[in-house]
Amino acid sequence: MAEALDFPAPQDSPPVWLAAALDQTVLDVRSLLAAGSDPLGALMDAADGVAFGGFLVVDAPFNPSPLRRVLAARGFSSYGRRLGGGHWRIYFHLNGAADWEHDSDVAVMDEGAMLWHEQDGLHIDVRKLRPPQPMLAILRLIDGDAALQALVVHHERHPQYLLPELAERGWSVARISEEFQDVRLWLERKS
Amino acid sequence: MFGGAFMMGAKDRLLPPAIPFRFFATAIVYHLVAWGVLLGAADGLPGYQGGLGPVLAALHLITLGVLAMTAMGAAYQMLPVATRRQLGPAWACSLSWWLFAPGVALLSFGLADGAPWALHGGATLAIAGLALFGGLVAGNLMRVGDLPAVTAPVWVALASLLAVLVLAGLLIADVGQGFLPDRASLAAAHGVLAGYGFMGMLVMGFSAVLVPMFVLAPAIPDAQAKPVAAIAAMALLSGAVGALSGWSWLAGAGAVLGLVAALLYLRLQRRVLAARMRKRLEPFFRLLKGGWVMLPLSLLAAGLLALGLWPEVSAPLWGLLLVVGWLLSFATGILQRIMPFLASMHSAARGGKPVLLSQLTPPPVLTLHAGAHGAALALLLASVVLDSPLIARLGALCGLAGALAFAVFAIIMMVRYRAHHRSQ
Repeated sequence: MAEALDFPAPQDSPPVWLAAALDQTVLDVRSLLAAGSDPLGALMDAADGVAFGGFLVVDAPFNPSPLRRVLAARGFSSYGRRLGGGHWRIYFHLNGAADWEHDSDVAVMDEGAMLWHEQDGLHIDVRKLRPPQPMLAILRLIDGDAALQALVVHHERHPQYLLPELAERGWSVARISEEFQDVRLWLERKS
Repeated sequence: MFGGAFMMGAKDRLLPPAIPFRFFATAIVYHLVAWGVLLGAADGLPGYQGGLGPVLAALHLITLGVLAMTAMGAAYQMLPVATRRQLGPAWACSLSWWLFAPGVALLSFGLADGAPWALHGGATLAIAGLALFGGLVAGNLMRVGDLPAVTAPVWVALASLLAVLVLAGLLIADVGQGFLPDRASLAAAHGVLAGYGFMGMLVMGFSAVLVPMFVLAPAIPDAQAKPVAAIAAMALLSGAVGALSGWSWLAGAGAVLGLVAALLYLRLQRRVLAARMRKRLEPFFRLLKGGWVMLPLSLLAAGLLALGLWPEVSAPLWGLLLVVGWLLSFATGILQRIMPFLASMHSAARGGKPVLLSQLTPPPVLTLHAGAHGAALALLLASVVLDSPLIARLGALCGLAGALAFAVFAIIMMVRYRAHHRSQ
């Protein structure tokens, strides 16, 4: 399955703060743009309402680079994900624009998990998904691609219930790192 | 420090294995004792209309000793994972076992023998254990706002539990005093709320996550689950008030509403199965499917009883279909799956190579248990319809054989788990 997806070149990891932004309400401006209206006023109003350390999440039909630069000048870092051909989701975080712009092309699975490639292989982000969707997404990926040998999972906690299922499939956890809202597991298929 | 605190929360959702397994092991022991007691009292089963004695003791050994005990162990382990919120502290979970497990033994003795000291002491301990369990689960649910498919039915289960405990207290206090004007009506309401309310709604709530997890299917959407829980709650209210007041039309309406809720619940479960990734269902699923067939049948029997039709047959038939057919089939089916699953999970959590689920599960023993359980149910139902104590004894014997097979399964699983642990 992973090979069937058209991934771009390997990218950088998403910013650490992304996990906290994943469950924010999304401001979708695609319909405004489709109707010929300029959503900038609504976006600025929304940005004005964000306290330091807060988030703003915007859905747009393209990568809104001008908006990202305007908000960077106001202290927002941003991380953009292209969810589909004409669908970008930009996560803004008011943190003094410490890491002001990242982009990533991702594939979105039916369960809502996001997939992308980095230097160390295929990554899957299942944070903020309700049980049993994280387990389902990971196992569907593993079961659907016999050539897949390794997978990096971004989870919000230790996926204890996944471990018996992985063992049954001949997979194991090679390494775990624990950051705030990002438990990262490097999974390997045993030879 | 912030990150550390967060991670502590992530890890702490996994309770020490001794807590859930203590409940499961106790449920297995009470399972054996219940069938043993029923075997000794089988002659009294056909035509049973209630009242103190060994049949009532066997009934409570199953409902409290097996069903509630399993529900407590499973809830403590699974609910925090499903809701992603803490449940505990662990000492309180342990305390609920220390109150409840001896309470069930003492109460069952009292129900069989009629001894007031055992009835009062056992009921006090059992009620305290269940109340503590209810408080812990409520504490967990109060922190959850985003999972109504699980929380809505579990809240109804907790409300039912509260009513069950009050009614149970009254029924026990009435023994030897006789202050209740209509003890039979109160007992019927107690049965409705305990079977369909407390246990049935817990099953509905856990099914929304557990069954999809076991068959690898998407969870039940909240929008579809909430109306089912609402109809079930109305059914419980109608059934319980109808039984208490003696208004048979209201009790009958409760049975009809319950049937609607049950069929809607079963339709949701069928959709889960249709969307599953795991194409081959594991052996434990036979018992779940059997239980699902018995649920609407039990409600049909409840309807007959509510309308006063053939009470000498419909009363014991209802009890058997509800307790042995629906709930005991479902609970032991879930135990067949979650005991090896949790053992494998805890072996992985120790950091070593996890023991495989397939290594822990002996399929022939599970088949023997399921077969004996099914035969026991069929024979007991036949004994009630045919008014045959001999068939009732045969049914109880099959139940005891099934309980023995189930205990052997648990022993084999633990032996294999320990062997794996020693080899690490």
